[in-house]
Amino acid sequence: MQQTESQYKRPKETRRSVLIADKVADKTITIGGALVIAAVLGMMVFLVLKVVPLFEGGAVQSHREYSLEMPGSRTLALAIDDLKTIAVRVSEDGRITAWHVDSGSPLESPRFDLQGKQVTAFSQCIDQRHMAFGFFDGSVRFASVQFKTEILTPEGLPAGLKELSAGDKSDGRAIYSIIPGNQVRKTWIEVELEEPIQASASNSPIIALDYRLKHFGERPSKTLAAIDRQLVGVAMRVESKLNLFTRKTTLAVDKAELPALPAGTAVTHALVDEGANSVYFVDKSGTVYRFNTRGLEEPFLAEVLRVTPSGVDVNVFSFLVGESSIVVGGSDGSVNIFFLLNRPDAAAQDSLTLVKTRTFAPQPAAIVGFSPSEQSKTFATLDASGGIRVRHATSERTLVSVRESGMPRSDLAGMIVLAPRVDGLLALGNPITADFWGLSIPHPETSLRTLFGKVWYEGYPEPTYTWQSTGATEAFEPKISLVPLIFGTLKATFYSLLFAIPVALLAAIYTSEFLDPDLRGKIKPAIEVMASIPSVVLGFVAALVLAPVVETWIAAVLLVFVVVPMSLVLAAYLWQLVPPPIALRMEGIPKFLFMLSVVCLAMFTAYHVGPVFEDLFFDGNFKAWLNRDRGAAAPFWFLALLPVSAVAVSTGLSRLFGQRFNRYIRTLQPFPAALADLGRWLAVAGGTLAASYIMALVLQGIGIDPRSSVVGTYVQRNTLVVGFAMGFAVIPIIYTLADDALNSVPDHLRSASLGCGATIWQTTIWVILPTAISGVFSAVMIGMGRAVGETMILVMSAGNTPLLDLNIFNGLRALSANIAVELPEAPKDDTLYRVLFLTGLVLFAMTFVINTIAEMVRLHFRKRSMQL
Amino acid sequence: MDMESTNGQTVYHIKKGPDGTLLSIEHFDLWYGETQALFDVTMTVEKGFVTALIGPSGCGKSTLLRSINRMNDLISGLKTDGKIVLGDTDIYGPNVDVIGLRKTMGMVFQKPNPFPMSIADNVSYPLRVDGIRNRKVLEETVYNALVHAALWDEVKDRLRDNALGLSGGQQQRLCIARAIAADPEVLLMDEPCSALDPVATAKIEDLIDELRGRYTIIIVTHNMQQAARVSDNTAFMYLGKLIEYGRTSTIFTNPKVDRTRLYVTGRFG
Repeated sequence: MQQTESQYKRPKETRRSVLIADKVADKTITIGGALVIAAVLGMMVFLVLKVVPLFEGGAVQSHREYSLEMPGSRTLALAIDDLKTIAVRVSEDGRITAWHVDSGSPLESPRFDLQGKQVTAFSQCIDQRHMAFGFFDGSVRFASVQFKTEILTPEGLPAGLKELSAGDKSDGRAIYSIIPGNQVRKTWIEVELEEPIQASASNSPIIALDYRLKHFGERPSKTLAAIDRQLVGVAMRVESKLNLFTRKTTLAVDKAELPALPAGTAVTHALVDEGANSVYFVDKSGTVYRFNTRGLEEPFLAEVLRVTPSGVDVNVFSFLVGESSIVVGGSDGSVNIFFLLNRPDAAAQDSLTLVKTRTFAPQPAAIVGFSPSEQSKTFATLDASGGIRVRHATSERTLVSVRESGMPRSDLAGMIVLAPRVDGLLALGNPITADFWGLSIPHPETSLRTLFGKVWYEGYPEPTYTWQSTGATEAFEPKISLVPLIFGTLKATFYSLLFAIPVALLAAIYTSEFLDPDLRGKIKPAIEVMASIPSVVLGFVAALVLAPVVETWIAAVLLVFVVVPMSLVLAAYLWQLVPPPIALRMEGIPKFLFMLSVVCLAMFTAYHVGPVFEDLFFDGNFKAWLNRDRGAAAPFWFLALLPVSAVAVSTGLSRLFGQRFNRYIRTLQPFPAALADLGRWLAVAGGTLAASYIMALVLQGIGIDPRSSVVGTYVQRNTLVVGFAMGFAVIPIIYTLADDALNSVPDHLRSASLGCGATIWQTTIWVILPTAISGVFSAVMIGMGRAVGETMILVMSAGNTPLLDLNIFNGLRALSANIAVELPEAPKDDTLYRVLFLTGLVLFAMTFVINTIAEMVRLHFRKRSMQL
Repeated sequence: MDMESTNGQTVYHIKKGPDGTLLSIEHFDLWYGETQALFDVTMTVEKGFVTALIGPSGCGKSTLLRSINRMNDLISGLKTDGKIVLGDTDIYGPNVDVIGLRKTMGMVFQKPNPFPMSIADNVSYPLRVDGIRNRKVLEETVYNALVHAALWDEVKDRLRDNALGLSGGQQQRLCIARAIAADPEVLLMDEPCSALDPVATAKIEDLIDELRGRYTIIIVTHNMQQAARVSDNTAFMYLGKLIEYGRTSTIFTNPKVDRTRLYVTGRFG
């Protein structure tokens, strides 16, 4: 080359603007990258912060101690109002002591006029407001202490109020509290004592009493169990009926006298449920006498059993809210919960029995006090040495140890009561000292065990993993096990990948290795468009169109899985019979159309053969067959084992005859060779059918039935539908990434293999796929990540039933769908709200683990083929 | 080892043609879409000889080589005219089994292309593709092929190691061993030394020399000295046409065509 002279001298130093641009780009990228990492970490930290309070239990926030002037008579009951303004003590002589909770200032209060009769038994309802007195003469009187409130304006305040504490004033009878919004809340007490009802037929003193109140709108129904000194028990239901014309209340009393207990029984506790179905009398030594009083018609002694070891007295025997859990506190400090469960093998006549289901950390001294919450399964226990624990029944957790045990003062062992909203606890000593603790227990029901472990829920025959976050009443026990949700996610992922992976990978192999590049250039973008279908549309179509269609033609749908692959293979063998010159001309689009029409034809066949197939295999009705109503297991096993036996028979035959057959086939002209090949395939197919049938018979003979495990009762929105719909979402992703991975295998390897005389299929299986395996694996894992996180399809088409059930024809609820479904139910910072964040965190962890494993495996594979 | 008895390869048993030719190319034209790459090429390849194809870049020598075992089939829009006769079969005839054809021709590529598998698996690949699973036969083939490819001594202790761990020259000899293992009639070599250093190149050239007579070798090369050193016959191609074909000594010392003389003396190209 001739050097040309030029006047222009190119400057050799780098221009300033280039340097600046370079620096700016460098910094921008650094900051941007750091921000992305920070955002991801921040997300993680945020989730963890939202979740941590679930595991924190509770804390004591404040403590007040006051000495009160109280009448010397024995304390029967304590009560606090909802807003922790006034505390009330009821004593044996019917006197009521009330005081301001914050300051301990006494309030003037009315009293129950018991007419000087001696109280021999007493019972307080779980709402703390209602109570019943049992008297020496065998009569019972219902009473109540009501906390009344009224909202006033500051102008309405009476003059001369005494300041008690910040914001609270008193006129000696009521408390006036200043509340937000420039308003005043007035709180005062009203009492009511009803007329006596005779409980003991023999006018003997009542020795134990239990009272339940149930509000049926305007008609309160009172249930009472009592026992007199003659050891004759009685169960009563008292309903007050209001006559709408006369405005007069009449009492309707249903009463059942129970068989007498054996003489010498020292009954200390009585217990009855709202419906008066069971009455329990407990002997001091721990023997429980359970009477079945269903309908109050023919009561009988159903069961006698001990609930404490011998030598241990029962000091507490009481229901938690909902009346399913019976808390038993022993003189050894033990606290246990019993359920009344249906056990067909139970010794009791009514096949019910008390089962110990929950055990709590014991306290060092005898349990002497107990207070349940009206709103949750939280309760407090007091021991003889003054220790107070607040516990939660479901999580079996001690939430707060309000006061440590082991104080050398037995005078602390008086009585305790939980504030109705479980935000405070009042303890009365004996003689009178009072302590009040402010508590904060935001999430009593959560623990690692309730979230991830098996829990024995109320009314359940055994411990289970259950998700049921909200119920109709406050007595409902929230069940927040994430296990069914994790299972649902895995199940949906498994079944959708079972459908998506073979389809997507075979499609990728087909377009990358077999298809004419021009055609590939058209088909690949078309499949990629599938990925852009919004998942809500897929879910919507799956739920409203696909699910009913699949349900209607379920037999045909199942048949498609057999017929389509078989007819494709058959078509391939038939294609070999086409003379090579014609076959060569038909490559590309005509061949593709031929295959497409084969698939359509196969579906058409399946649709028409479906009913016959159902008749032959499932006794004419697939869904009835699934319910085990009819038919045997063998036909299903036959279908399920087809792929396995196909692989076994074809490898077996090729091991035995493969080489001889290949040698023979090479001596033939193309057409007879193709015929022979077809014959071989037919032999393999026949062998497969036979082998599968024999195995099915064997399995049936052993007695293994797939029903109620992998298949079972048919539900319209089921995992099969989810598999289809999610497959639609996942197939394009796996397909396009796998196709790229296969396509990026260097052509020189393809040439090398083809140059060795390998066919395209051999090249694909032996060289291309192993080389591209890291990419193919990533494709599958990314598809899996998509399936795990997929939400809308699952919300709409999976039925959202949180079940632990492998059955492909049943629904499921996935973690992601759970967040979407429960979000409207979860007020901010509520337990459910935080559990949903935990659900998100678990989902995050799952995708994180999947992606990490994917990346590790990918790097491992890539190291092998890196030098290419 | 007798391939005849193990895989029954009989379809392409190649008979030597008249006057010792194994392969004859007759008026062969080739188009990539609208572009014609080969124009009326006619030549014969003698059995047991090393035939070199030389010429400047883009002259069609690789295209011609790849036409012989129909590796060009993979390119879409390919058209051919004329014949290439192997023994007594036109390989572009209507009933040709292309896969079977390739089994009779080993091919070595410009860039060493071992498979990402073990050394032994690489060499036995052509046999395993044929469905041969007999371990003894496979081991024997691997041994013979590696010995013939002068690689045995270097890799005998690491037959199970990944072939990608070998040096470039070793990889190329492994590829030759793989081509030999199929017991082909013809070895097609497409610039086998262009990616190698001089020492490795010398080893490959020695190997070609040793394989002479046992296999019919057709080698495409850029390197005139290499063509002069290893080949018996040389074909000079230019712009898709065969310009001159004859004994290597003649082509290099006394070419008939002016352009050949200019090329072999390095004055054009």
